[in-house]
Amino acid sequence: MAYPMQLGLQDATSPIMEELLHFHDHTLMIVFLISSLVLYIISLMLTTKLTHTSTMDAQEVETVWTILPAIILIMIALPSLRILYMMDEINNPSLTVKTMGHQWYWSYEYTDYEDLSFDSYMIPTSELKPGELRLLEVDNRVVLPMEMTIRMLISSEDVLHSWAVPSLGLKTDAIPGRLNQTTLMSTRPGLFYGQCSEICGSNHSFMPIVLELVPLKYFEKWSASML
Amino acid sequence: MSNSFSSTKAWMHGFLAKHLQFHIVGTFIISLGTATFCNFAVAEPGNKAYADFYRNYDSMKYFEVKSKAGIFQSAKGFEI
Repeated sequence: MAYPMQLGLQDATSPIMEELLHFHDHTLMIVFLISSLVLYIISLMLTTKLTHTSTMDAQEVETVWTILPAIILIMIALPSLRILYMMDEINNPSLTVKTMGHQWYWSYEYTDYEDLSFDSYMIPTSELKPGELRLLEVDNRVVLPMEMTIRMLISSEDVLHSWAVPSLGLKTDAIPGRLNQTTLMSTRPGLFYGQCSEICGSNHSFMPIVLELVPLKYFEKWSASML
Repeated sequence: MSNSFSSTKAWMHGFLAKHLQFHIVGTFIISLGTATFCNFAVAEPGNKAYADFYRNYDSMKYFEVKSKAGIFQSAKGFEI
């Protein structure tokens, strides 16, 4: 989950999110490179009396400042495309879970074996127990097996929503009349929080997502108890 | 009234060119230095941290610790 004064991304809980973290480091390094270059040039221009007011042509410098940005863009695009294609690899999920966005809660359906479905509402601040997280806790969490590939099918019953879990690198729009798919694989057990990420009305900020990743035998016990 | 406009060409000393030559090198040193610093101060320690974390990682051990802390709805305590 996010913590106060956080500057960077949340710790990664899936291999894809680890790749995204490394990509973010790489791209931010390029951003700092360009920003420091521009800042230095601006400070140079502001601290000199020397001018050249009769430039007629500047073929060499124009070639450099065309080719160099193109190279930088390619250096950003190649790792980006690599991760994009990695997200779409065939990975044979062991489980499929459907989630529907509503105003203003999520509902989940586990229909691979039996028909299990439930709604997941935010716990109001006045009903939180000590230690629980404000605006993030829900009454029924999405319990899933860890270290297994899970297919998430996401849609909406009313307006646009978006199902997002930052530590897993997931954000998929929930669009009425459309079924979007994403793949989830957590390397660690624990609780992973997310929030609706597409404006959907007055309580858009109050429909969080909580994933509870546990070993498979606990997941099986939980799903049997929920039927 | 005499025209005081001079028709001789100004004699340039190449100060701007020398200034630019010196500072272009400085610009690249600073920007590449910033990028290198970002890489070795932020990116590499991050990569190392993840590699070290997962080298001897035992997910069941972490699950036991978190379960005993009582955070899971589906696994109260650590009973099998």
